[in-house]
Amino acid sequence: MEQRSHIYGVMAEFDTPEKLIHATERARAEGYRRMDAYTPFPVEGLSEAMGLKRNMVPLITLIGGLFGGLSAFFFQWWANVLSYPEDIGGRPLNSWPAFIPVTFELTVLGAALSCVFGMLALNHLPQPHHPVFNVKRFVHASADRFYLCVEARDPKFHLADTARFLQGLHARHVSEVPDD
Amino acid sequence: MAVEEYLAPESVSRFQARAFGVGTAALILAILGGLRSPAQFYQSYLMSYLLVLGLTLGSLGLVMLQHLTAGHWGIIIRRPAESATRTLPLIAIFFVPIALFGMKYLYGEWLDPQALKEHPLSGFQQHYLTHTGYLIRAVIYFAVWLALMFIFNIWSKQQDVNQTDRILRQRFKMLAGPGIILYVLGMSFAAIDWVMSLSPHWASTIYGFIVVGGQLISSMSFLIAVVVLLARYQPLAGVLQPRHLHDMGKLLLSFVMLWAYFDFSQLLIIWSGNLPAEISFYRTRLYGEWAAVAVIVCVFHFFVPFFLLLSQDLKRRAQVLSKIALWLILMRLVDLFWMTRPEFTSSAVPSWLDFVLPIALGGLWLSFFAFNLKRSPLLPLGDPQLAEAIEHHEH
Repeated sequence: MEQRSHIYGVMAEFDTPEKLIHATERARAEGYRRMDAYTPFPVEGLSEAMGLKRNMVPLITLIGGLFGGLSAFFFQWWANVLSYPEDIGGRPLNSWPAFIPVTFELTVLGAALSCVFGMLALNHLPQPHHPVFNVKRFVHASADRFYLCVEARDPKFHLADTARFLQGLHARHVSEVPDD
Repeated sequence: MAVEEYLAPESVSRFQARAFGVGTAALILAILGGLRSPAQFYQSYLMSYLLVLGLTLGSLGLVMLQHLTAGHWGIIIRRPAESATRTLPLIAIFFVPIALFGMKYLYGEWLDPQALKEHPLSGFQQHYLTHTGYLIRAVIYFAVWLALMFIFNIWSKQQDVNQTDRILRQRFKMLAGPGIILYVLGMSFAAIDWVMSLSPHWASTIYGFIVVGGQLISSMSFLIAVVVLLARYQPLAGVLQPRHLHDMGKLLLSFVMLWAYFDFSQLLIIWSGNLPAEISFYRTRLYGEWAAVAVIVCVFHFFVPFFLLLSQDLKRRAQVLSKIALWLILMRLVDLFWMTRPEFTSSAVPSWLDFVLPIALGGLWLSFFAFNLKRSPLLPLGDPQLAEAIEHHEH
């Protein structure tokens, strides 16, 4: 218990995406769940290896789109029918076909904004600092190295055992990640 | 990869024979009915003709589109799409009965001197909308489409042999862009001649785009249904993956939205203008019995497929996606019924010929399509992106 307040996790460094995927699959099979992978480019199959479930972004986007569309339609209806009824060329006050373009635009706007900001929120972004940057070698994550970090909050985490386990997965290097 | 490995499965031949039998039987039945009521026959014929025309020309558009965008989905559907474009000679033959016998039943409003005396055409129309002009323009449309079809199919065949020909790839891209413009322009004019002129005193500049949008929906739907069926057998079993279906589903969704956008734009502009000359189109289609058909088109051609296709899971499931696709082809027929028939009758109850003739033309068309499908390997073996397109990287 004591160690968890000082250690964020244990991080292994790999040469190739294949080794990383292999290590991730092994770590999952071993029972580790609280872990994250860091790569210089999107690696196909990594999400599956990490057992990532579908996220909430599509649902948030749908809700944002529906909210945008409904509010746009409601606002136009309210303005034209209740707030400021005006006879325009003899058309009905509730001229719904004329409301559709704005409804459509705000559906797109609501969906797009909630998609982007929902994604940022779910990723806990913006985040000025992250413990993995405490490891000096981690700069290579944006160039040519692939990292797997098993976090200390994983119930199976044990500093020495986990480090030994990762070492056994053909890691180039295994480092402790201090939590500050 | 050897050509023989990728030839169409045996079941395609059985399908070809069956479709030919059903199509021929239905056509004989329809002709017998047509002898008794020729006007009804040609009204149903025009609607059925527009459906198979859409499957063919929409596929031509998609062939050119996939040359431009070079997505993996395009490599999977390219051969079925090319086979669909090679039915174009049959489409030209199907046009002959309209040109020779059907025109007087369909285009009475601008052919019948009596009707013209009551409602004369405008100055330009008097010279443009003539019997000869109609026929000459039809020949031009078919000449352009046939030329595009032959060129793309011949080059594609050459690519199977010359797998490393870079110039060929460049040529595909060079022609695909102008080709798409030619297709849309040609179809726009053809839609004016063949469909919009049913009511010559009404005009809409977006009409051709509505027709093209509908053609893209029907051909994309058809190709999805075909590849899902083909994936049940070797050699395509195991080639078709959820990621391909996902892309095709997305494209289908975008076509559904595009078509709805065009269709609604026309409604919005005409409804806002509220001018007597323009609203005639919707006066006949949004009131009485036709209102029910309009609601069906709006709900089942747009809203239901739209919300179903939003779901990622449904798009990736072959059986679900192909059912949505087949449903959309049926809805295309209902939409064509709603676009053409109100010009002739206020009754929205379909005649029995409205069921038999789509089966007749559709059956013969499918049979020819199956025949074409057997002529070449089911995948474009010379395409440099093929290996990447059929690679499995879902762990």
